[in-house]
Amino acid sequence: MNLKHIILALSCSLTSYTALATPTVDEIIHKTNYTSYYTGQDGKAKVKMIITDAQNRVRTRQFTILRKDVPTTDDLANNTYLGDQKMYVYFTRPVDVNKMVFMVLKHIAADDDRWLYLPALDLVKRIAASDQRTSFVGSDFLYEDVSGRNLDADKHTLISEDANYYVVENTPIDADSVEFSKYVMYIHKTTFLPIQTEYFDKQGTKYKVYTALKVENIQGHQTITKSEAKNLQTGGNTILEYSSVAYDTGFPDEIFSERFLRKAPRKYLR
Amino acid sequence: MSKNINDTETVNPIVLFSINHPKFITRVMTIITLILITVAALPNFFPKELSFLNTLQVDTDPENMLSADENARVYNAQMKKEFSLSDIVVVGITNEFNDNGVFNPKTLSNIHALTQFALSLHWLDEETGKQAGVIGIDLLSPSTVDNIEQGGLGSVNFSWLMPDTPKSQEEALKVRARAKRIPFLDGTLISDDGQALALYIPLTDKHLSYQIREKLLARIAEFGEIEEDYYITGLPVAEDTFGVEMFKQMAISAPIAMLVIFLMLWWFFKRLIFVTSPMILAMVCALSTMAILIITGNTIHIMSSMIPIFIMPIAILDAVHILSDFFDKYNKIQDKRQTIIHVMDELFTPMLITTLTTIAGFASLALTPIPPVQTFGIFIAIGVFLAWFWSITFIPAFIVTIPDEKLAGFISTNNNKASDHKTLMARLLIKMGDFTYNHALLIVLVSISTVGVAAYGISKINVNDNPIKWFNAKHPIRVADRVLNEHFGGTYMAYLALEVDANKTINANFKPAMLERLSAAEENAVQLKLTHAKEIFLLVNSKIQNHIGSEELLATKLLELLDKGFETSADDEFDTWDQVQLFIDTESQRSEIFKQPDALNYLAGLQTFINNLEVVGKSNSLSDVIKTVHRELLLGKDEEFRIPDSSNAVAQTLITYQNSHRPHDLWHFVTPDYKKTSLWVQLTSGDNQDMAFVEQEVASYIAAHPMPHNLHAKWFGLTHINVVWQEKMVTGMFESFAGSFIVVFIMMFLLFRSFFWGLLSMIPLTLTVGLIYGFIGFIGKDYDMPVAVLSSLSIGLAVDYAIHFLSRAREYTIRYGSWEEAIGPLFSGPAMVISRNAIVVGVGFLPLLAAPLVPYQTVGFFIASILFLAGIISLLLLPAIISLMPNLFFRNLKNN
Repeated sequence: MNLKHIILALSCSLTSYTALATPTVDEIIHKTNYTSYYTGQDGKAKVKMIITDAQNRVRTRQFTILRKDVPTTDDLANNTYLGDQKMYVYFTRPVDVNKMVFMVLKHIAADDDRWLYLPALDLVKRIAASDQRTSFVGSDFLYEDVSGRNLDADKHTLISEDANYYVVENTPIDADSVEFSKYVMYIHKTTFLPIQTEYFDKQGTKYKVYTALKVENIQGHQTITKSEAKNLQTGGNTILEYSSVAYDTGFPDEIFSERFLRKAPRKYLR
Repeated sequence: MSKNINDTETVNPIVLFSINHPKFITRVMTIITLILITVAALPNFFPKELSFLNTLQVDTDPENMLSADENARVYNAQMKKEFSLSDIVVVGITNEFNDNGVFNPKTLSNIHALTQFALSLHWLDEETGKQAGVIGIDLLSPSTVDNIEQGGLGSVNFSWLMPDTPKSQEEALKVRARAKRIPFLDGTLISDDGQALALYIPLTDKHLSYQIREKLLARIAEFGEIEEDYYITGLPVAEDTFGVEMFKQMAISAPIAMLVIFLMLWWFFKRLIFVTSPMILAMVCALSTMAILIITGNTIHIMSSMIPIFIMPIAILDAVHILSDFFDKYNKIQDKRQTIIHVMDELFTPMLITTLTTIAGFASLALTPIPPVQTFGIFIAIGVFLAWFWSITFIPAFIVTIPDEKLAGFISTNNNKASDHKTLMARLLIKMGDFTYNHALLIVLVSISTVGVAAYGISKINVNDNPIKWFNAKHPIRVADRVLNEHFGGTYMAYLALEVDANKTINANFKPAMLERLSAAEENAVQLKLTHAKEIFLLVNSKIQNHIGSEELLATKLLELLDKGFETSADDEFDTWDQVQLFIDTESQRSEIFKQPDALNYLAGLQTFINNLEVVGKSNSLSDVIKTVHRELLLGKDEEFRIPDSSNAVAQTLITYQNSHRPHDLWHFVTPDYKKTSLWVQLTSGDNQDMAFVEQEVASYIAAHPMPHNLHAKWFGLTHINVVWQEKMVTGMFESFAGSFIVVFIMMFLLFRSFFWGLLSMIPLTLTVGLIYGFIGFIGKDYDMPVAVLSSLSIGLAVDYAIHFLSRAREYTIRYGSWEEAIGPLFSGPAMVISRNAIVVGVGFLPLLAAPLVPYQTVGFFIASILFLAGIISLLLLPAIISLMPNLFFRNLKNN
């Protein structure tokens, strides 16, 4: 139901839509990767995370995400947009985790560097990045969902398409390193936003579904501003609501450093 | 009181009707029985077509010892849901052939494979549309749990404890070393001695456990030659296995009991034709009662499965009385119709009374608060009534239809036998009669001293039960249970829920402290030079000051104020309102009790106390999780294995924990609002007395160390439920026993129309019960559920012999002129019937001793004992007492 609304909205907003030849699967996944994680040189959003369990018990978290790309171009040609990224996640709610910071230096060619700052313990802690498929602060989103999965980790196949979607199946190259056997993405044809992604376990049972619930045009970029991760194993779900989304704000590199973990760059977080 | 045997008017009209229409009676009995069996059986074969009828339901759930609306059960179900706790199949793995136990690459790779297999055991349930089977996300195995430890460069690392099969011995030992360092896993996943592992496989429904167990066993068989042993247990498995054993029991023990009784009857009466009628009667009563049980939608439970085995011997009892009497009288009367009329006339009242007392004994179980025991009592009462009814109709009808020539042949042989050489038993009984008259005082004195000894035994009775011990010691379930409890912290789970006592939280005087915190927040805002800080905080201040009512209501009002503030404030005031929100949120988080260090430290202290109790193997709690993560955050230093100093530090420690693979594990220990926590206690014994001990100790600890934040503690979990029903059983059984004792006494008083005779008739049953329980106290057998049921049972059975004996004693004394003269005939006739009866029925229960389930053995042994004891006491003590005080008992009779 939500999907249809989004598709309708997307289709209407794109007046210059013309039928094009089907792109290659590589083109599709790179465009999707770009729209999901690399839009603009940097990005900022206030996020409200609503975690609901199977018993409808709700927990919320609020944080601000700052993201800055290392490559200085957004050009999709030759995938020059792709590169390392920096991320700064500043928590404000619940109150007892206020000022907690989660910082990531994402590397394409190596393991990511992750830091956690716990203000109440006055502790800056590196988190070993041996496994990126752990929960992100107790939600149904994984750390990898937030930072983006390395495209080279999976084999991508365009399995079908219809008027609105490319359906891409992704199977892990190192099957033992992950808990899923494949995931299927429904990628919107004109915006290349992943509207729905379904994960299947090793027995072939669907166990997790990510859905884009709301898409807005922000500074000319079609942006998912509300998304849901539904956990079919636990019966719970997590909703992320993005507000104050802005691209190309131009914040400096230096805030992605250990020094700014303890002293948050308030100016850029507002 | 001499009777004219031709006077058919004296006999009960029902009996008379039966004698006059024997074929009709037989047909009616056959048709009714067949209809009952059909209605009970058919729905099981055609459940859809006959959905309006009840099918056979097996119930092996120990929770059902309490009725579904019992507080303890309702609370248990609620807590299980709130803490997402499922029923678990436990797979214990040991390896006796390797110095490192299961921690070698080969065994661990099998365990890894078994885990992957277990994770695959789920499917879509067509009916509910949900996944059924193994709950993968909650499965505990080295492959599915997280290891929290120091990574390189001072980092903390969340990784699978055993992500893959270890390639070398060294890697295998690393798995062990990591697991030993995590309190939640040590003693639960990995054994205390570091040699064994246990997998905990949660199920969506415990009724799937048998199926899952079979599949796991099949997969284990595929490993081929292996060093390690697999033990599959856990309560759901035990329950399912119990159900299977129960059916075996009913299919084997009941027929064997039938066979034994059949042989005994044959031995006593020597004629097949006499033996068949009681056997038919027993079958009819047992089958009809079970059919009614199923038709009325009652379940086959450990208790109700014993119904047939109880009904059969009781049903035979009356038939044996009639047959024995007929057997004796036919010699003199030589006319089967007249004989049976005479016999029935004589027996009708005592049979009715013994039936009523038996019914009273069993029906009194309906007063106990334990539903399976209620069902058991009520249906045996129904069966006993059926037995009486068919005994007074079918047995006479059956005898009447025996051709005269057959009976004639029977008399002659028997007559010769009886007169030529009396049987050993007959001679013994005669001597016994003399002995009771000559040594009456001795018998009474010995009896009194026996009572003294029994009283001492009763004082030593140990009230205890343990459903696992219902299996005999060699049963695979018991073996698995023993092995696992030797290696691990215990497989018996009890949970202690801590939550705020809603009745005590009304704190009228919360304002001063809150205002103090507000002024601190205001000061902070002023220091940050926030716009209009003073003015805005004054708004909040007056809102609090002027508030009338509860703290909760104030919270809502403050949120309204906040919303209005954010809506209407100028842009530059936004940060000030943000500061107000911080204050309000902080206030609301004060109710998150289990983020507060004092509550967590209390929890940790309580846990330490519990861990030091003898029967407790280990315990798990929220404070363990926090301490462990805190230690690993602070470089893994042992001194940092503690609760951090502030609630914010606790919250941040917990959010770090939730960055793992299994964040949902946290909600097994605390609710997401942090208002309730559950402390897991693992006991190495499932004995109720051990759990009761833990509960007592914890209660006194809490009394001595009052809990902060108006917390209160309440137990849940099956081990606790067992204690609850046991307490109910002890008091309930006593009340039911006392009630039926009084009812039976009144009945005896009415029957004999004499206080002393009534009192006398109560002696055998009182003494029997006393001796049985004294014996149980002496040998140290636990007073468990089957033992408790015996008291009501003895009332029903033990009084029967007294009624038969005493009513004859009165009759014979009148007939023969004096008590002394009556003793001889009394001990050759009625005493013989009583002895045969006690032996036939008593021995009939003995096949239960071969049963694989302990409750059946207990019941078999003690019922046989009750019958023998009641028989002996009736025949020894009753005549001895009468001999001592004949005037007391015969004064009124003589006057007549």
